[in-house]
Amino acid sequence: MKQILLITDGCSNVGESPVLAAGYAWREGIAVNVIGVVDEGTIGELGSREIADIAKAGGGLSRIVGTPQLAQTVQMLTRKTVVQTIQQAVNKEVHKILGESSLTQLPPEQRSQMVSVVDELTETSPLRVALLIDASASMKPKLAAVEDAVRDLALSLEARKGRSEIAVFHFPGRSGGEDAQLDLDFTGQIGQVRSLFPKLKMRGATPTGPAIFRVIEAFKGSGSTDEPRALLTGKEHDDREGMIGGYVV
Amino acid sequence: MGMSFNPPYPAGTVIKGKWRGNRYVVQRVLGKGANGTVYLVQREGRREQYALKIGNDTLELQSEINMLTSLQSCKMRSEHRSRREMPLSSYLLESDDFGDTGNIPFYVMRYVEGRPLHHFLAKRGASWLGLIGMKLLEELNKLHVCGFVFGDLKPENVMVSDYGHAELIDYGGASPLGRSVKQFTEWHDRGFWNAGSRVGDESYDLFSFAVLCLRLLNEAGLKAAAGQLPQTRNVDELLKLARNLPDKQLGAWLCVALKGGFAGSAQAAKVWKEQIYSKRQQRMETMATPAWLKGAFALSLFVLVFTLYWVFF
Repeated sequence: MKQILLITDGCSNVGESPVLAAGYAWREGIAVNVIGVVDEGTIGELGSREIADIAKAGGGLSRIVGTPQLAQTVQMLTRKTVVQTIQQAVNKEVHKILGESSLTQLPPEQRSQMVSVVDELTETSPLRVALLIDASASMKPKLAAVEDAVRDLALSLEARKGRSEIAVFHFPGRSGGEDAQLDLDFTGQIGQVRSLFPKLKMRGATPTGPAIFRVIEAFKGSGSTDEPRALLTGKEHDDREGMIGGYVV
Repeated sequence: MGMSFNPPYPAGTVIKGKWRGNRYVVQRVLGKGANGTVYLVQREGRREQYALKIGNDTLELQSEINMLTSLQSCKMRSEHRSRREMPLSSYLLESDDFGDTGNIPFYVMRYVEGRPLHHFLAKRGASWLGLIGMKLLEELNKLHVCGFVFGDLKPENVMVSDYGHAELIDYGGASPLGRSVKQFTEWHDRGFWNAGSRVGDESYDLFSFAVLCLRLLNEAGLKAAAGQLPQTRNVDELLKLARNLPDKQLGAWLCVALKGGFAGSAQAAKVWKEQIYSKRQQRMETMATPAWLKGAFALSLFVLVFTLYWVFF
């Protein structure tokens, strides 16, 4: 399973629409979750609509939270999306085998068995999460909370039985031409994300759309795809993945 | 998915099971958890009260029901083995669906009357912790023996009756041993304190239990420690709080639990029993004699001597 987790505090203002970019991601089998993080006041109607739309187009979930709830929300959304992805795949199978429309309509015994399968896959299937962090100037005071949240997500992913990998990007990139900068490439050594954030430099613009496209490229570039369908048939991981993991740019 | 954030069902609502046909009448809301809302209900036409949980999410609730079912059968096996004549303390009575479209899931459990642990101790005093802690550790051990961890252990999830009988409620955070803990609360989470992984093992529950004790005995201290920067947040802060407790033996026990030093909950319960629970009786024996009693004793001696003198001389 593949996920992008976008953490932002407002509207995109440069480049392609982030909603369009999220649509592309979802087509590539990458779910996009979005968390809007606010310090005081609100994110504004325009911003909150964009956040909801990105998640909808990206087949993921969105929440708008204050910094104190950020860590818990990141953890919860990631887990929920994993469950949801597997549930969709299982529902498809249920429909094929039993002709029922979904899990909720199954009689108790069958439902209980299906849910055991979902639980098992949630815990054991390989997962790759790319964190995409808005590093525009207004995000600066929230960065400590973001770091805490990323650390917390790493802890939860480390505890899974299945293989989990994390990559971290921030946007805008260092030079004007770069949409998003890679801070940490996909790695199974999740502990590495803890020593990451001193490097972030805050800048003005918010090219959310182009940044999402950059992350889709990174997913493609790093090989294997774990489609939900493949999970059910027990498809093995691409070997290439283990080799590229584990270095910090 | 969906169905979340519905307003609670008003008193008098009848919940009729789609598959098993039982009818329950809602009396009031007992509480709202992460996965759903728990109501106090009465089986239609009967007197007994039950707790009935309506889920926000079919999958999450079914997962909880699965866990309760295997816990139940494990518990029944062990009770059968030990041949103890005790009422079957059911985690789960039945599960079913209801609603117009018949797909709102619910399950029914025993109703545990009482108040949450932190309210109980605030009212009755910390001297009850030895007894209640003993019961909690035994409950945790039973769960561990059955292959589960409780996960989200906190005072809000412990119900205490007026007579100090404690029970765990809300098994929504429970998961099989060795799997990741899926539901937890910041302060009570081992990961939050940089004190270890979020893999559900026996020590995870014991760690949460230790934080629970600290929270009950020194909430201000715990809050201050939790407020530190995530990078500097450290289990040492918790150890310091434990060592500063007036009860030194309790402090020592908590330190072992916080450091993951117990082999498991069975050992932790045994040590608690020897050093904290049983200590109460000893304290009774060695209790200092109040000054007024000494005075009264001296006075009565004096009166005795005086009487003897008066009688014989």
